[in-house]
Amino acid sequence: MAEVTGPGAGVRRRMLLRSFAVQGSWNYQTLIGTGLAFVLVPALRDVYRGDADGLRAALGRHAELFNSHPYLAAVAAGAIARLEADRVPAETVARFKAAVRGSLGTLGDRLVWLMWRPMSVLLGVSLVLAGAAWWIGALAFLGVFNALHLWMRAWGLKAGLRDGLQIGGTLRGVPFQRLGDRAAQIGALLAGFAAALAAAPRGSHAWEWGAGLVAGVLGIALGRRVRAVAAGAMVLALLAGLVLART
Amino acid sequence: MIPTAAQIAVLALVGGLVALDGTSVGQFMVSRPFVAAALGGLVVGRPGLGMAVGIVLEALHLAVLPVGAAKYPEGGPPAVAAGAVFAASQSPPVAAGATLLVAVLVALALEWFGGHTVEWMRQFNVRFAGAPPEGLTPGEVARRHGIPIAVDFLRGAALTLAGVVILGVLLRAIDFSGFPEIAVGTVVRLSVVAGLASALRLFGRAHYPLFFAGAAAGAVVAWLR
Repeated sequence: MAEVTGPGAGVRRRMLLRSFAVQGSWNYQTLIGTGLAFVLVPALRDVYRGDADGLRAALGRHAELFNSHPYLAAVAAGAIARLEADRVPAETVARFKAAVRGSLGTLGDRLVWLMWRPMSVLLGVSLVLAGAAWWIGALAFLGVFNALHLWMRAWGLKAGLRDGLQIGGTLRGVPFQRLGDRAAQIGALLAGFAAALAAAPRGSHAWEWGAGLVAGVLGIALGRRVRAVAAGAMVLALLAGLVLART
Repeated sequence: MIPTAAQIAVLALVGGLVALDGTSVGQFMVSRPFVAAALGGLVVGRPGLGMAVGIVLEALHLAVLPVGAAKYPEGGPPAVAAGAVFAASQSPPVAAGATLLVAVLVALALEWFGGHTVEWMRQFNVRFAGAPPEGLTPGEVARRHGIPIAVDFLRGAALTLAGVVILGVLLRAIDFSGFPEIAVGTVVRLSVVAGLASALRLFGRAHYPLFFAGAAAGAVVAWLR
């Protein structure tokens, strides 16, 4: 494996810490552009030491439109810092940013938001519904979720700094797809497990099991619309309760 | 019982931090309703009860995806408020099912409103982060980036405060005596079941057999306990 070159350990540490705030100024014009510039400040200060105009120009270039999954933004930041350290022409850096932003967004959204996070949440919820203490459920969720989260940020920055323009090949070599598939399998299993536990409290009657089954099938059929339908059912239950309480 | 003034101040602080965690800083997912509501409950000394609200909200929040510029309900600050007020209202325990129902409904309404405030904030952020990129210094980048983060914190704190006040007033105003507790509790529980099952849509049709295997295992555990 090639050595990580470019910025020193202190700069890399500051970049990593700043990457946790990359979405801080999310807006509809530059998306996370300013956040990316914020993450790059330590590296650019290092590269443009003694060249204030060069630093201002570089910050301006990197504060323009950019988007990515927040965890994988570290990959982009690392690679850009490497390109700046290697004094790659600004046009090449701009083309690189345009090329990676879509793929980093799609990759992260699919793996983290669609698979890993629901799976981790369902793990925590399942534990609590099965009788574990609240803090065990919370810690299990946060521990499992953040194991991948923190790895993605730290590995991403390191890989970006190491590989620069070649980061695409490195990303293709990481089994993100397989990881997502495994998370989806475990998540589906846990979703069924948690739904059954929620449907049947201690000493349930047969009708409660049946109602739970119907609710589960309805939930699968409704998908995202379950939120609106459940809220409607709860409003009706509240209104019915208020009427019954007064009669 | 409602949270004390000191507890409300801490709740606003937690709500602000949770709002930051949702998007701006960290994204460790402490902002998930499941955890955030437990934190709200923790502030008033009953984290387990806070998490009870959190599980309902989490089940209904599972399929919400914060992808790109999508508009989505914000789960964190409302969960902190609902978890705290519900937990505080159960000392001593009273009409738990009906109180839970009201807490969840208020939180869902606040989640919807919170989502709109996120959208407004993103438009507001344009004046800082979207300003012309000429002449930027590291200090100016920090300012343009830091002000939106501070605004997000204040937004989350205000949303949490609003939730605590609205829910506190409602729980005082509604007379729950004579409420059909079992029926209300069942509606909430079935909503949780439907919400948890809806997560299957995220994982894809290929995993339906695994879902039913998990449900069978869950049914065995539920039957045995």
